[in-house]
Amino acid sequence: MTTTASPAASTGRTAASADRAPTTTAPPTSGRSARRRQSVDRIYYLFLVPSLVLFTLAITVPALLGIFYSFTNFIGFGDWEFIGITNYIAVFSDPAILSSYLFTFGFAIVTVLLVNVVAFLLAVGLTAQIKAKTALRAVFVIPMVISGIVIAYVFNFLFSNSLPAFATAVGIGPLQESILANPDLAWISIVIVTAWQSIPGTLLIYIAGLLSIPGEVYEAAAIDGAKPFRQLWSVTLPLVAGYVVINVILGFKNYLNAYEVIVGLTNGGPGTSTRSIAMTIFTGFTGGDYAYQMANATIFFVIAIVISLIQLRITRGKAALA
Amino acid sequence: MERRRWRSRTAVTLSVAVGLTLGLGGCAADSGGPADITFHMSKPEAIPYFRELTKKFNAEQSDVRVTLDTASNLSAGFLRGNPPDVGLLNYNEEMARFMERGALSDLSDLPVAERIRPDVQELVDQYATYPGRTSVLPYSVAAASVIYNVELFEENGVDVPTTWDELIAACDTFEAAGITPIYSTFKEPWSVGQGLFDYTVGGSIDVAGFYDELDELGTEVGPDSDVSFEKTLKEPVERMVELAGYSNDNAASRSYGDGNVAMAKGEAAMYMQGPWALGEIAKTDPDLELGTFPLPVTDDPDDLKVRVNLDLALWVPEASTEKEAAKTFVSYLMEQDTLDEYNAEFLGFGTTVDAAPATDERILGMQEYYDDGRFYQGASKFVPLSIPTDNYIQSIATGADVDATLRRLDADWARLALRG
Repeated sequence: MTTTASPAASTGRTAASADRAPTTTAPPTSGRSARRRQSVDRIYYLFLVPSLVLFTLAITVPALLGIFYSFTNFIGFGDWEFIGITNYIAVFSDPAILSSYLFTFGFAIVTVLLVNVVAFLLAVGLTAQIKAKTALRAVFVIPMVISGIVIAYVFNFLFSNSLPAFATAVGIGPLQESILANPDLAWISIVIVTAWQSIPGTLLIYIAGLLSIPGEVYEAAAIDGAKPFRQLWSVTLPLVAGYVVINVILGFKNYLNAYEVIVGLTNGGPGTSTRSIAMTIFTGFTGGDYAYQMANATIFFVIAIVISLIQLRITRGKAALA
Repeated sequence: MERRRWRSRTAVTLSVAVGLTLGLGGCAADSGGPADITFHMSKPEAIPYFRELTKKFNAEQSDVRVTLDTASNLSAGFLRGNPPDVGLLNYNEEMARFMERGALSDLSDLPVAERIRPDVQELVDQYATYPGRTSVLPYSVAAASVIYNVELFEENGVDVPTTWDELIAACDTFEAAGITPIYSTFKEPWSVGQGLFDYTVGGSIDVAGFYDELDELGTEVGPDSDVSFEKTLKEPVERMVELAGYSNDNAASRSYGDGNVAMAKGEAAMYMQGPWALGEIAKTDPDLELGTFPLPVTDDPDDLKVRVNLDLALWVPEASTEKEAAKTFVSYLMEQDTLDEYNAEFLGFGTTVDAAPATDERILGMQEYYDDGRFYQGASKFVPLSIPTDNYIQSIATGADVDATLRRLDADWARLALRG
């Protein structure tokens, strides 16, 4: 984390790491503060105070409490005692938790790929000189403004009733039964709905990226004899590489936390085939398994941090290329 | 503690006026006036009923003023040490955790406690007990069994079955006549758990006894233990799978709402749901003639039992600061006329020795079993919520391997015992 703040890294910083700048640069300022004290108005520190206080109270303190309780047998109220790392041992031998990790990571990878491919192709189309461009863009952004749980319930009805009825009428055998009721296929419905919901946001970022490419480079490429596909591959893609990385990182992080769409579609079923990590953790509150699921949450937290660090590293490499 | 510290600091830092106000507030609470208590009741369809009752109670006397609370989060209330003064809600495994840790006070000195049927009071103890206390007073029991379409049974010359063979014969008769024998809603795990699963298991084994043994075994539960989900429940669950085969073809994608509408339209002969579904079915067809009978799972009619749950139970938290006032209100709620009126309106069964019998045709079929104490609490409800029992049962009903899934339940049970 601290390396991000070093001057060398900050020159090649992409938008993704710039996004994190407020938190990552905060600690080292104390080292440089002697030099800068006179030029920086105190008021800037005051601006930080409200969010710092809120962040500490609402995020850091509960997180630390959660980690603390993961070493106890606390069930949410009443007496408790320390039980060491028993919870952690139990987590690693729990097939329900292991399968939720497998499902969630598989789902996140597939969804990230699908969302980014579709959104990128749509963005290329929507930034080309086509008719009704603005109106089309507006249409594609609509799913973004609808709440996830609402979308999920609408699709739940479509998958359970409309799609089987349609498949029966047309005669498509495999789809005549609801895919939500099939433990092997239910995850596909979650991928589809999540993609449908998150393509607009990804699309907007890609459109912004494509619009930031100056027209001259395409002219130059055309003069060199590059056909449209070659232009897309050798000019457009490298120039929006930073945007691809942002979309992949943000998307992957969101999909790992998948919750509401799954609740609305399958509620983790059929059986336990589509239980995400977040859903499993949440059962700790409803099922009196608080400390145990806190151990699970702590492990998930560590994994998330590791992934973020790896992605940040890749980001910096990509940024240097661009 | 927390509050006191806060208050002293306030007194120092804020003006004297604030301190005075706080002091006066404290005096007012101590010196007479009505005692304010909160009454938690969140069963959605019963809220209007208890709102009226609370209003009536407040108007009739001036010692206690009751505020109805229909929305607060109970766990959070207990956690903060600020639970409602009186609770009236479904009693289940989750609620039992509060009781087990001594969070509910003793109500055995109330005269009404004597009037509760011992076998109904015993239902409370099946989940957990707290030594020397009657912490929970059963208020209303919901009895559940097979809901059947009387007309379809009569048209096809089928009598209410009392043995497993008769049940299968009835299913075959309906199937031959082109009628769906059982309407199932496998899309919602709870409906499989409370229906097919609880009925087949409850109809074949002693549910509470089974879980007593499992509790004792704890981490020992597994392939080598004499009692386990895999060994003890194998036969009932295999019967459940056989019955599931008589369901509508699209059962896997049907929800509870779909099932109520389908039953109302006479699309199937039998439906494994509780009395709560009767009101929903009536919304579509108020005149449909329905009846109930306990699911026969063995060849002996004496084994017939109905599934019950404590739909509403009363308790007063240990943390309540107005226990006497709360008990006054509890006694009011437990007056026999009030109880009978509630049960008649919400298709419940009375919990007291002198309770009026049910009058509604649709649940009359269960009265004799209830009166004789031939009932059990659903097997799916004894497993702590952290094990996704209903989901496992759902996957069995839709084709998963019985042995492997029950083995998984055993393993989950042992793991939970290890860290509990």
